[in-house]
Amino acid sequence: MENTKENSFVRAIKSNQGLIITILCLIALPFVIALINGQSFSSLLANEPGQAKFYQGLIIEIFILAIYALSYDLLFGITGLLSFGHAMFFGVGAYLTGILLKSFGWTLLPILGVVAVAGVVMALIFSIVLPRVKGITFALVTLGIAQVFHIVIQSREMAKFAGAEIGLQGVTPPDFLNPISQRLRFYYFGLVAVFVVYLFYKRFVDSPTGHVCIAIRENEDRATMLGYNTFYYKLVALIISAITAALAGVMHGIFSPIIRPGITGSGFTIAALLMILMGGIGTLNGALIGAATFKLLSFLLEKWFGGASQVIVGLVYILLVLFLPYGIVGTWRLRRLQIKQGWTDLIGRFTGKGRAESS
Amino acid sequence: MKNDHILITQNLRMEFDALVAVDNVSLKVRPNTIHSIIGPNGAGKTTFFNLLSGNLSPSAGRVFYKGRDITQLPLHRTAHLGIGRSFQITNIFPNLTVLENIRLACQALGRGNFRFWRSHKYFKEFEERAREVIQQVGLEKETLALARSLPHGGQRKLEFGIILAADPEVLLLDEPTAGMAAEQVPELIQLIRDVQKAGNKTVMLVEHNMNVVMSISNTITVMHQGQVLAEGTAAEIASNERVQSAYLGQLYGDLSGS
Repeated sequence: MENTKENSFVRAIKSNQGLIITILCLIALPFVIALINGQSFSSLLANEPGQAKFYQGLIIEIFILAIYALSYDLLFGITGLLSFGHAMFFGVGAYLTGILLKSFGWTLLPILGVVAVAGVVMALIFSIVLPRVKGITFALVTLGIAQVFHIVIQSREMAKFAGAEIGLQGVTPPDFLNPISQRLRFYYFGLVAVFVVYLFYKRFVDSPTGHVCIAIRENEDRATMLGYNTFYYKLVALIISAITAALAGVMHGIFSPIIRPGITGSGFTIAALLMILMGGIGTLNGALIGAATFKLLSFLLEKWFGGASQVIVGLVYILLVLFLPYGIVGTWRLRRLQIKQGWTDLIGRFTGKGRAESS
Repeated sequence: MKNDHILITQNLRMEFDALVAVDNVSLKVRPNTIHSIIGPNGAGKTTFFNLLSGNLSPSAGRVFYKGRDITQLPLHRTAHLGIGRSFQITNIFPNLTVLENIRLACQALGRGNFRFWRSHKYFKEFEERAREVIQQVGLEKETLALARSLPHGGQRKLEFGIILAADPEVLLLDEPTAGMAAEQVPELIQLIRDVQKAGNKTVMLVEHNMNVVMSISNTITVMHQGQVLAEGTAAEIASNERVQSAYLGQLYGDLSGS
């Protein structure tokens, strides 16, 4: 009995090797960056300004985007609901956090509660049209709803709270999660948040409910005829997705010095779509990798090319879609064996062994 | 009176704009029988099936299942009552495995569908039942293959398995042998027969293969231009002159003479 338990534990570690290695690397990363930049660990722990701190910030932004991309992957990649209004979920989380912190002096815990409730309400608003429209029509309805919010948040009437088109500035973040004075703590908090959301999503996709969501994506009519009331499954996916995106918005609201109205616009929804397209639609790992690729790509290209970077970003997307049509993770899963064989051949050619010799 | 029949339609009518696809069809289906519906293309057989299964809502008339009016029932409810439906054009989950296709069908009528904090593996009974069904339809070797990778005949079997999985009392099979290789047809027909006998099930069949229909049906209903032309046993239908002149004679040769 004891033995089988240990075996299953070992097996669990082995089957999640990649995940565990990634997490260990991310735990060590701030220290590695500090080493490379010649910064001492004590100054790192004291959150002194420097290159290390800058890179921590970059990775924190990736964490936030990763949670946001995961939430979109659940909706579109797993359940097959194409939404063009996803940025609204994120935006409401961010703006609620900013406004409640700045104008009302709330603490973080009640804000989290309010944001979760707001997530459910937004999902319910989207779900009103769910039984009536499908596919691209649903996408357009969600786009419409989100655009209304996008306009309202920039309006003059709201300027007192939301800062109109300039954005919401001067939010005082809670002391224990201050993005400046406690950045390293924020970094590890973000890492834990991504990890928890990822595990929860993995379990959801593996659950009976998640399997029905996949069935709905594959053939909704068939799922209905099997006896599933597909509306409720889509609603569950929508609610979970909305709450997750709104919580990512909370992190953005605390971390970002300015909450810009751009994060509520359709461009930011497209960003989520691009992230999961690059990573691999319907693969949760893909959402994480896609978010990292997206952020690093735009950061590096802007650093190298400045203003022309947008053009090059577009080119890179075209190339990715052409050569990795299933995204990074999707293509890897399809081609794993071929890639392995290719490497063996390549190594064989250099060492004069293996298949290259025999041919 | 009503309870003698498992499925009853009363003056069922379906109009698509100017076209009357099903016109005033009243039909009674006895339990534990194979009841076939035949008729030339465009006779309204598939539309009639869609009305029975709830895929379409009739313009007029009613459908009773075990004495209960199911005319306006939402589509996902009919499966829970025990009505399973297959389609002329194969309707499966092409990108999922054979096992998952059938497991989903088992899970649909079971418990725990919204326990999203549990792994699906926790609900072992669905997978066990799915493997039983896979064995029954003879797809054991393809258990973990993707449904779309199966040959057409295999997909037809899979769809039949999806319906069986829910253990329905009434099976509505719309041309189950359509597009199948001729040598595979007897196998599937035998399967349908076995399932019907072993489970005391009622099978309604739309089929173009006359040999199949004549050999397995207890009752045959002939539809023509949306209406019921005749009803009876295989022998009665084969010797019915109206049926012969309107349908069998033209299309399939003289059956009564053979």
